[in-house]
Amino acid sequence: MRYLVFLLALPLAAQTFEQRGYLETRSFFYPREVEGDSANYVGEALARWESSWQLRANLRLNVWLDGRFDTHRQFEREARLDFADQRQQRPAASARRISLLWNKGGWTLETGRQFIRWGKADLLNPTDRFAPRDFLNVFTPEFLGITAVRATYERGSDTMDLVYAPVFTPSRSPLLNQRWVVLPEEARGLPIEDQGFRLPDRAQAGARWNHLGSGYEFSLSFFDGFNHLPLIDATPRLVPTPGLGVERYFARMRMYGADVAAPTRWFTLKGEAAYFTSTTPEADEYVQYVVQAERMVAEWVFVGGYAGEQITNLRNPLDFAPDRGITKTFLGRVSYNIDPLSSAAFEGALRQNGAGFYGKWEYSRMAGRHWRWSAGFVLIRGEPDDFLGQFRENSHAIFTLRYSF
Amino acid sequence: MSKLVLMLMMAAPLVAQSARDIVAESQKRAQANSQRYEGTLEVIDAKRKITMKRWIYERLGSAGEAKAVLRFTDPPEVKGVALLIHNHPDRASDQWMWTPAVQRDRRIAFQDRRTRFFGTDFTFEDLEERDVDRSTYKMLGEEAIEGAACWRIEATPKPDARSQYSRVLLWVRKSDYVVAQVESYRAAKLVRRLKYTQIERVQGIWTARTLDMHDVERDSRTILKLEKLEYNVALPEGQFTLQALRRLS
Repeated sequence: MRYLVFLLALPLAAQTFEQRGYLETRSFFYPREVEGDSANYVGEALARWESSWQLRANLRLNVWLDGRFDTHRQFEREARLDFADQRQQRPAASARRISLLWNKGGWTLETGRQFIRWGKADLLNPTDRFAPRDFLNVFTPEFLGITAVRATYERGSDTMDLVYAPVFTPSRSPLLNQRWVVLPEEARGLPIEDQGFRLPDRAQAGARWNHLGSGYEFSLSFFDGFNHLPLIDATPRLVPTPGLGVERYFARMRMYGADVAAPTRWFTLKGEAAYFTSTTPEADEYVQYVVQAERMVAEWVFVGGYAGEQITNLRNPLDFAPDRGITKTFLGRVSYNIDPLSSAAFEGALRQNGAGFYGKWEYSRMAGRHWRWSAGFVLIRGEPDDFLGQFRENSHAIFTLRYSF
Repeated sequence: MSKLVLMLMMAAPLVAQSARDIVAESQKRAQANSQRYEGTLEVIDAKRKITMKRWIYERLGSAGEAKAVLRFTDPPEVKGVALLIHNHPDRASDQWMWTPAVQRDRRIAFQDRRTRFFGTDFTFEDLEERDVDRSTYKMLGEEAIEGAACWRIEATPKPDARSQYSRVLLWVRKSDYVVAQVESYRAAKLVRRLKYTQIERVQGIWTARTLDMHDVERDSRTILKLEKLEYNVALPEGQFTLQALRRLS
């Protein structure tokens, strides 16, 4: 309560106060029922508020809060404000960002819950290690904030970024009793007990150097910590009834990465690559890369490329890894501004062996200053043993209505 | 005799004033250490549907070497979207777009600069400053715009300027060297016409308070009104960096 009073009093004390946000409802229509999840309709409501207070000339407080509700029990019903995003369900009320940001000269220091984005590609970001995501619906992931201290020093065309994250925020994987978890044949029909997370107890750290050249830019990055995507420990149990206990845990990870953006005469070329090593015996070691080209022509925006992977040490983990699931894949996105109020977009992924396909078509229209609605359709096709293809029963339509303020 | 020589000597600068000199003088008179305004944009499409946008524009420096930040404040769904521009006298500007929803900046590549900026009729290139020496100039004559006598000058971007436009026609008012109209051509075809109106003296600098950009090909218009305009305001250099875009998002 004291905390709330403090927050409400801040605008009076602060030099400037800025806010924005939106109220949004999202409706998902699934034509097919799947084993364990017969829902054809899932509704979600989100209230998002992003505010900032300029406390002093060089000191800023950011407070971003979310409130959520849904029809499918993907979100908690508990009345509490979540600060860590470490639970399996989405919290009903959460602080996405609460941070103090200080700057002087070329230095910027941000402490608290915040968003840290690394990398330059748009289709896949192997170097984006401090950016866990909410994968409850697999194909509509949203970034989660992390608790960290970030120091950035900018001088001329060079920027050095140092990050220390004492608290681990995992990516949220799909719920076991819902349609986005496709169980292997041998596990179907067995009762499954979700035993939650086994969270790492060590801090994570990373550094990134970025250089802006004349018409190009590149960066080198290093990360030492844990993969925010989980490995899965599935343990058969016999008592009280035969079943399966599922626990998620997180592999140690060290990443050496680089990214580059270089505009050529015809398009902008972007590339990003990272080499991952791990001391966790069950985790693979591999190189992941993405090469993409992008171009804007009149009202069109084209982004297309290829994401690849080369395994250097195969250990056959049981994991949930959507980033690796869309490697060896051609990826693309096209959008067209029909007029100042409306736009259409398509994004797609096609596995190089043709075993999986994902495509999303969307039309979006603004109505007045505040309202926007969009309607879309997601088509998923492929083989049951392919990352994309396993979700082939989950093609769906989406309708979104948003009021921004 | 000596009177005639004196008169000729006095007249010589006027005669010798080339098209380039006029453009340079126009830029010089508009020079300020910094500029800040709140812009209201009315975008009128070919079907005469009107959408409104607002941005805050801040610029540090001038004459081809300025740094500028343009930050949307309205409509609410684009609040916080920002464009950072670093102009260079000898080459095209560097531009980055910041999108708060994804917490990422994106470099606007040179070949993308002919696209419209966020649904307005200004292209990314139209938002950058051009150094006077990046074009060659030719005096085409004189013509009145809105009753004001103007020089009509043709500017042709030099090959290394890499502009989307093959030539630009400028109308510069003879009374105060303020640009009254600009027509931009691709090959022989007129693609954009920019009219400067409501010209007032602000802190000693003659300034157009209304800019009316007409995209001739699409038949759409964007009217930009400059409100709360100030020159020579204290703007720290650190506000015009990529880190500042992130900090203020």
